[in-house]
Amino acid sequence: MMHQGSAVPRAVLRAAIGVVLLAAVLGASRARAQDAATWLTEVTQAARLLNYSGTIVFRQGNRVETFRLTHLNDNGQEWEKLVSLDGPAREIVRSGNEVRQYLPEAKVVRIEPRTIRNVFPSLSAEQIGNLTQFYNFRRIGGERIAGQTVDIVVFEPKDGLRYAHKFWSHTSTGLLLKARLLNEKGEIIEEFAFSDVSLNPKIDKESVKPSWATVPPDWQVKRGGPGEVVQNDTGWNVGKVPPGFTKIMEGIRKLPGKPNPVAHIVYSDGLVAISIFIEPFTVTQTQIGLTQAGGLAQYTTRSDAFLVTVLGEVPPATVRQIAQSVARR
Amino acid sequence: MNENISRLMDGELDDAELDRCLAELKSADAMQAWVSYHVIGDHLRGTGGGARGVPARFAAALAAEPTVLAPHARAHRPAQPATFAWAVAATIAAVTVVGWTAFSMVDVPPNAVAKAREAATVRAAQVKPPAELPADYLMAHQEYSPATAIHGGGTYLRAVATAGAEPRP
Repeated sequence: MMHQGSAVPRAVLRAAIGVVLLAAVLGASRARAQDAATWLTEVTQAARLLNYSGTIVFRQGNRVETFRLTHLNDNGQEWEKLVSLDGPAREIVRSGNEVRQYLPEAKVVRIEPRTIRNVFPSLSAEQIGNLTQFYNFRRIGGERIAGQTVDIVVFEPKDGLRYAHKFWSHTSTGLLLKARLLNEKGEIIEEFAFSDVSLNPKIDKESVKPSWATVPPDWQVKRGGPGEVVQNDTGWNVGKVPPGFTKIMEGIRKLPGKPNPVAHIVYSDGLVAISIFIEPFTVTQTQIGLTQAGGLAQYTTRSDAFLVTVLGEVPPATVRQIAQSVARR
Repeated sequence: MNENISRLMDGELDDAELDRCLAELKSADAMQAWVSYHVIGDHLRGTGGGARGVPARFAAALAAEPTVLAPHARAHRPAQPATFAWAVAATIAAVTVVGWTAFSMVDVPPNAVAKAREAATVRAAQVKPPAELPADYLMAHQEYSPATAIHGGGTYLRAVATAGAEPRP
């Protein structure tokens, strides 16, 4: 009888402790998720709002290149100039929503409209939750990069379908000064780092203008761009979407260089995105299979009369898995 | 089956298919296909003789990728030899391990299967050079990717890093 009598309160006590612990754990994980979202928002705002210039070392696999980046926020209008310091001469100038890419050796200028939808101030509660459900978000102290004090944060994936992301952000302004993508084996897939940086300098507007005031007459002007997308049900089903990726866009896109409209579906886990493009197959398309450029992987496969291309900042196996699971509904 | 062997060599099989394919490789017909395909593979890598009787699929792949393999073309793509060498090394690793597994014709030790799977996966990941991703798709993707907002001006690094390959007029 004594046993029974004391067992009940003990069970209740245990349950109560369980509830308190669960609440604490949930509270802690929610706080961590919010911390991750806040950090991402600060970093993306800093990149847009601050004036800065510096030298960037960019590494993709074994390949290392250096660039000069200048960014000016002129009363809300963004100007950006990126110039290659080694290898073939290349220059990219963005003013507002137009990007011009100058390739002097090829005598080509590409002019493209560019829209960037900054997702961070408006991440959904689900996406914020996914960030820490599928990545371990950790702040791992500080360091110095390009003479500046930085905070280090890490997003470590909990499965093999994503890369690990390590970021070094300027402690006082939040500007990203170094970023690294690592695969499952801890190998560096891609990295960029400022080797010197000047934060909030007075930037002369001339320094963010193209080196060519007008396009030289013997240059070729190529106009392109991602075209307009009309959001709609495309009739396509993606079978093997990795957990934690939610659909953020589905629509039909008219690309300037393509005769047929292209179905475009985007999934995101809050940190990266995966795009699925489906277009009618034509005999001129030969790029079947896997292509990798640093942190971007692309897999193209044929599905009956259609060409399916999956592109994203994820490991090759992930884009391949998705590409092979796309089917007509 | 032959298609599966071809897909195995392309590193396209998923884990379940790979297990089935390795099991089927114990048959004489499958081995014949396996050997033929590797002879073809040797031709593709320039380590074999003539290319007589190459199946259409490989002939097409060969036609589509000569610039990657031909030494004179590498001069235009200075950044690629290291990656290409890596791909070849990975291919040889895959062929060696999988080839030994298949030729042994006896019960395949599980660790060999694991090694073969790893090698096949590595090869799939490295089989193509860091190539020109279609610019229009990349732009359309970057419009929506959170990575774009995180990297700010750094986003264009990817675009210019591959832009060096713009053909001369």
